[in-house]
Amino acid sequence: MPGRPSRPELLQGTLDLLILRTLLPGRNHGHAIARHIRRTSEDLLQVESGSLYPALHRLEAKGWIDASWDLSEMGKRARYYRLTPAGRKHLAAERSKWEALARAIGLVLNPAEQEGQ
Amino acid sequence: MKSFFRKLTWLARRPIKEADLQEELQFHLEEEAESQIALGRSAADARLAARRDLGNLTRVQEETRAAWGWTLLEHLLQDIRYALRTMAANKAFSALAVLSLALGIGANTAIFSFMDAILLRSLPVAHPERLVTLSWRTNENESHGLNRHDDSFLEPKEGFGGSVFSYPAMEMFASNDAIFSSVFGYQSAGELHLRVGNQAQIASTEYVTGNYFQGLGIPPAAGRLITADDDRAGAASVAVIGFALSQRRFGSPAGAVHQSILIDGLPFTVIGVAPPEFFGADPGAHPDIYIPAHAFLLLHSDGSHTAGVWFTNPDIEWVIGLARLRPGVDIAQAQAALSPQFSEWMRTVNRARNRADLPRLVVRDGSGGLSGVRLRYSKPLMILLTLVALILALACANIANLQLARATARRREIAVRLSIGAGRARVIRQLLTESVMLASIGGLLGIAFAVWGIRFLTLLLSAGSENFTLRAEVNWHVLAVVAALSMVTGILFGLSPALESTRVDPMPALKGSRTAATRSHGARRLTLSRALMVAQIAISLVILVAAGLFVRTLASLESIDLGFNRESVLTFKLNARRAGHSDPEIGTFYRNLQARFASIPGVRSASFSDLALVGGRMMTGVSVNGATLKTALMVSVGSGFFTTMETPILVGREIEPRHLASSHLVAVVNRVFAQKNLGDRNPLGRILTAPDDCATCAFEIVGVSGNALVGRDVREKPGPTVFVPYTANLWGPMQAMIYELRTAGNPLGYVRTVRELIHEADPRLPVSEIQTQSALIDATINREVVFARLSTGFALLALAIACVGLYGAMSYHVARRTGEIGIRMALGAPRSRVVWMVLREVLLLAAAGLVIGIPAALFAAKLLKSFLYEAQPNDPISLTVAAVSLVVAATLAGYLPARKASRIDPTVALRCE
Repeated sequence: MPGRPSRPELLQGTLDLLILRTLLPGRNHGHAIARHIRRTSEDLLQVESGSLYPALHRLEAKGWIDASWDLSEMGKRARYYRLTPAGRKHLAAERSKWEALARAIGLVLNPAEQEGQ
Repeated sequence: MKSFFRKLTWLARRPIKEADLQEELQFHLEEEAESQIALGRSAADARLAARRDLGNLTRVQEETRAAWGWTLLEHLLQDIRYALRTMAANKAFSALAVLSLALGIGANTAIFSFMDAILLRSLPVAHPERLVTLSWRTNENESHGLNRHDDSFLEPKEGFGGSVFSYPAMEMFASNDAIFSSVFGYQSAGELHLRVGNQAQIASTEYVTGNYFQGLGIPPAAGRLITADDDRAGAASVAVIGFALSQRRFGSPAGAVHQSILIDGLPFTVIGVAPPEFFGADPGAHPDIYIPAHAFLLLHSDGSHTAGVWFTNPDIEWVIGLARLRPGVDIAQAQAALSPQFSEWMRTVNRARNRADLPRLVVRDGSGGLSGVRLRYSKPLMILLTLVALILALACANIANLQLARATARRREIAVRLSIGAGRARVIRQLLTESVMLASIGGLLGIAFAVWGIRFLTLLLSAGSENFTLRAEVNWHVLAVVAALSMVTGILFGLSPALESTRVDPMPALKGSRTAATRSHGARRLTLSRALMVAQIAISLVILVAAGLFVRTLASLESIDLGFNRESVLTFKLNARRAGHSDPEIGTFYRNLQARFASIPGVRSASFSDLALVGGRMMTGVSVNGATLKTALMVSVGSGFFTTMETPILVGREIEPRHLASSHLVAVVNRVFAQKNLGDRNPLGRILTAPDDCATCAFEIVGVSGNALVGRDVREKPGPTVFVPYTANLWGPMQAMIYELRTAGNPLGYVRTVRELIHEADPRLPVSEIQTQSALIDATINREVVFARLSTGFALLALAIACVGLYGAMSYHVARRTGEIGIRMALGAPRSRVVWMVLREVLLLAAAGLVIGIPAALFAAKLLKSFLYEAQPNDPISLTVAAVSLVVAATLAGYLPARKASRIDPTVALRCE
């Protein structure tokens, strides 16, 4: 997208993780999920809306999230997504995997800290 | 798994899902627009920004749908829709392809269903793998006793074979309880008269030994089955009936138990019903009734010969032997243990057989039942299956070639699809879907052809016997084979054209240039197309040569000199004893009937015999003037038999009416008998004694006849034969007689008169097997008739398929070379030269096909050797005829495109470039 400051690309598969994490406190609709990810990442992570919906539907097909129609705060019909127990379990597993990965990469990238210890 | 079902339910709610997605995205756009407005944009700007943010809406929808997980299925449906459209647009091609495939698949299915019925289906018994059949082999063709089941199999490598044993031999086998857990046997009692209440019918009946059902290990459908206690002299008369008969006559199996029935007028009690899937141990027979072997004594109780010898005489062979191996014993061990024992036993007790050629025991796998039927039909079916498989291959090559030609026409279409972003794999998948669709439709139609083909084949195969009960059917095995065939053929003929036609460089193809794009790929495509044509010609040659050999074999068989005149003879069978006639009146009754038949206007003479000429035989030991026993065939005949059959009497006289009444028995022997037993001595007046168990049966030889063939097969050489008056009652009380009427004109024209006369003489007397003598003989060479007819049909089919293929491919070649031909003609090439140019290509391909095909055909013919009669595998006539007809066909197929090429207008052709 022209004109926007460059942001880090989302790693393959991390979008799923972000969506699941976003739904952890409670249900939400697509637009709110995108907005939430953008805000909490301090606008560093720009979720492409074009890839958000395929991802949501894929997660639904896998049974990690459920969808139902309800009225939004503005009184419009919106499709709300909610974590399923299976999704919760998957999130926990993925999260620890991700943290391990992030730690490992951190260790490699900052060996000085390691030496300092 | 769960997600799979979720996807399935989604599939059902597809329109709702689609609307949901629309609404969801719409909501997203609105929300986004709201937030943009909150940032201070105008409403119009905000909407645009929202759209920009979401990106390509169609693409988002497409990718989301992909997440639903039925893209593959959707593509498939799309492909099928598209394939149907393409097929509808090319009706001629589709019809041709589907038809040739349907014929190919149908023929394969029909033949396979017979193989399934005969070769693959196991007996519906417990542990069929432990069943073995017992049979024997001798060097010379020699049998003693009786076998109504079909075991007339000749294995050139193993000598002559038979599957019947004497009752004492079966007892000897049964004593080996270390090897066998049970030994049991059966023999057909023939077609007997069955009465249930006041309804009468003919029922095929089987004698079974007491442990037959336990040995096979089958449970009753109702009541109980025959046990060892039922099978002894003096036991109560009991019968087990087949499932179908129980339903037909008693409504249900349970209703049949304890009912009384009459078999040939004798009361029997039904004790049980066999299970529905059980068809007896012989897959070629289908008994209605099973009775204990010792019921033989009851059914033959009125004899002058005691029936008891059938259970004690080791020379009377009549029980078909089966046995069940003990666990842990294999066939080779059984063979090794029993073979020497059987040989030793035969040496000790057998008096009737040639000492130098005593039978050798053969133990075979019995899981499919009687080996005779398998042997008899398995090789012919293999051959037929090979022929039809070749035809299917031909059809596949044909369609592949046509597809290749069509691929040229579709070059633009495929280029368009490739250039708008379809992957090559996707286009190949689409083309393969088309091929498999064609093949599947072909397969479906093929099933219809197969059903029809099975009926036709049953008719052809059963021509030999009235009680042909081989049940071939389209079952799930067969359907699975059809499905597999359709898939495989579809991929087979679709793959290489699909690979070829997607090797397109879109740009030049789209520009419509004819030459640039196709030069490099075209050359490959041409080579492939030519290779297919050469293969077609080679395959056709093999089929044509095989057909030629079978037709020649049939022709040789039909021209064998049988020693009598087979034309213009009507034959039929009468059994006066079953109709209630008894001794001595029955003899007079048969003779009076003969006189009545002889007086029919147009009947030149009439006689009768206990055996039909070519259709059966009885062998026994005969001694001349007290010399040692020699085996001979014996036939009982009425007076005037030789006149009627037009068999010459070489010395002396034939059996005349005065010989019948006289207590002084006479005989006519054939030339082989005289030469073998008497050499150059004068046979007249010598006394021969027969059969071997009758010391008082002495006959004076009054004549020597030509070698009329008595036997089961026209290929047999006439053996030593003795003809005696039927009044001698050679085999006990006289039973059925076969009448022979020599007629003027078509014998079948007399059927009505004959029936009327018989009805007049005795309305209770049914006529059976009424047919011409030549039809009766044709029945013995039924296999050859079937082969000749089917293979001729296959050959014509192959030729037609190959012609269509050649024509299509050559038309395509000519179309490709339009430009070149135009230039040649513009430079002054005459039309004849252009015609020759195209024809030369066809002929070169044909020559290449023949170069490959002739060695292949010679090799194939060698495998057919055992099926040929007086035709050598390298028969030059068959080979020449096949090659010439192929070249002619190829020329014809090439001539039309050649003529078209010669009519190309140079100016038009060049403008196309």
